[in-house]
Amino acid sequence: MRTRAVLLATVASVSVLGIGWQLGTQSIEASQSLTASGNTASTAGTGSTAATDAAAQAAEAAAATAATAQAAEAAAVAAASSDTAAAAQAAADAQAAAVVAADAQVAADAAAAAASSTAGQDGTFTGSVVGTRFGNVQVSVTIASGAITDVTALQLTADDRKSVQISARAAPILRSEVIAAQSANVQNVSGATYTTDAYLQSLQSALDAAGF
Amino acid sequence: MALHHAAIETAGLVGVTAITLQSMGTVVSVRLNGGLTDAGGPVLRHAARAAVAGVFDRWDDRFSLYRPGSELSRVASGAIRLPNASRELRDCYALALDWRDRTDGVFTPHRGDGVIDLSGIVKALAIVEAGSALESLGQKAWSINAGGDILVSGCPNVTFARRLDPNVDPDWVVALVNPLDRLDLLATVPLRAPLRAVATSGSAERGDHIWTPAPGIRSPFRQVSVLAADIVTADVLATAIVAGGEPMLNQCAATYEIEVLAVLQGGGLLATPGLRR
Repeated sequence: MRTRAVLLATVASVSVLGIGWQLGTQSIEASQSLTASGNTASTAGTGSTAATDAAAQAAEAAAATAATAQAAEAAAVAAASSDTAAAAQAAADAQAAAVVAADAQVAADAAAAAASSTAGQDGTFTGSVVGTRFGNVQVSVTIASGAITDVTALQLTADDRKSVQISARAAPILRSEVIAAQSANVQNVSGATYTTDAYLQSLQSALDAAGF
Repeated sequence: MALHHAAIETAGLVGVTAITLQSMGTVVSVRLNGGLTDAGGPVLRHAARAAVAGVFDRWDDRFSLYRPGSELSRVASGAIRLPNASRELRDCYALALDWRDRTDGVFTPHRGDGVIDLSGIVKALAIVEAGSALESLGQKAWSINAGGDILVSGCPNVTFARRLDPNVDPDWVVALVNPLDRLDLLATVPLRAPLRAVATSGSAERGDHIWTPAPGIRSPFRQVSVLAADIVTADVLATAIVAGGEPMLNQCAATYEIEVLAVLQGGGLLATPGLRR
């Protein structure tokens, strides 16, 4: 009986580790989208009797984390949609920037926290401030009963209205649409790193020799 | 370079042409605006060349993995332990690690075999220091092009750029080369403040610059040019975008104040808004 209990406890512990690993992997992706998830860390569950509960709650926490990114984006867009089209664009762009600009170390911490979490805490969590070219972006998320109930943009600064209206995304472009300077003179050529030999056959060597 | 000097002398342009020198396995072209046509021109030219060459050679001596005796090679071989390495080396490594974190690990200062390889950042740092060296010679307007990575200051000499409007200083203009035909140009871009630096990375040209998303996976980009306020940012992000593809391109464009022109393997172009007509 005692042997069986120990065996079960061991299996339960391994399960917690295994599930935690899986959830951790998901959380890496999710928490790259929102650093707020880093704040959901709580005490580590080691007791095998708590295995079932811990796994269930960790699953809840991870599900909430995964949902956060989409919810945050939707909320940011929705919040801005009552404003002008420019603001909506700004919010979308800033949100996209925040989503992609999350710090890798925070993601790793969050994953570790999620993997060892015994409970998805309720409450309001504040993400890190993420600097983007559109200004600083910071998001606050409220979680109740393991579900996101509110997402608020705490900082969505836009010092230069004009720059905010411009999406920074790269788009396919025809060669005829690429910029050509008004000045007739070019002094330098930029290409992938050239060797000394390649330089001698390059436009740069011609420009250097010609005195442009 | 003998050929070039002959061409220059026949054109009667000694003193105002570019200063060229070899370092780090490539050619560095330096242009100055000011003082070259004065009586002291030849002395200034000599001093500028010596200053820039000194900077590049010092960085190469310390960080080249092609030189068995360089400090970085000795760190790689285990002859020097990292904590005992020079402050310059450790600072450079720390900067590269910072950029690794900022690019989600896409830019990395580690070779596949684990050896610390700072070639992705050393040339840019040498360019920055060479610029400071020119400033300390009293030069306010210059351009430095090291193997296609370019940093400029001030505006070009009238010899280097025709003045279209007498009231407006001309811009330093950089041409972005077509990777499918090295004698063809894709774009001519003015390097206006704040974007005074440009770097281009390719997925094909040089051994130590082949960066791929993962071993055996080809970059979707044949070439990526990044304009930024500083050359380190431009150089690191050009490398990261080659390795990280379009998601990394859009992440970088959203986070940093940069402009990007990317050439897909098939020859198609992707550009941020600032590089469109």
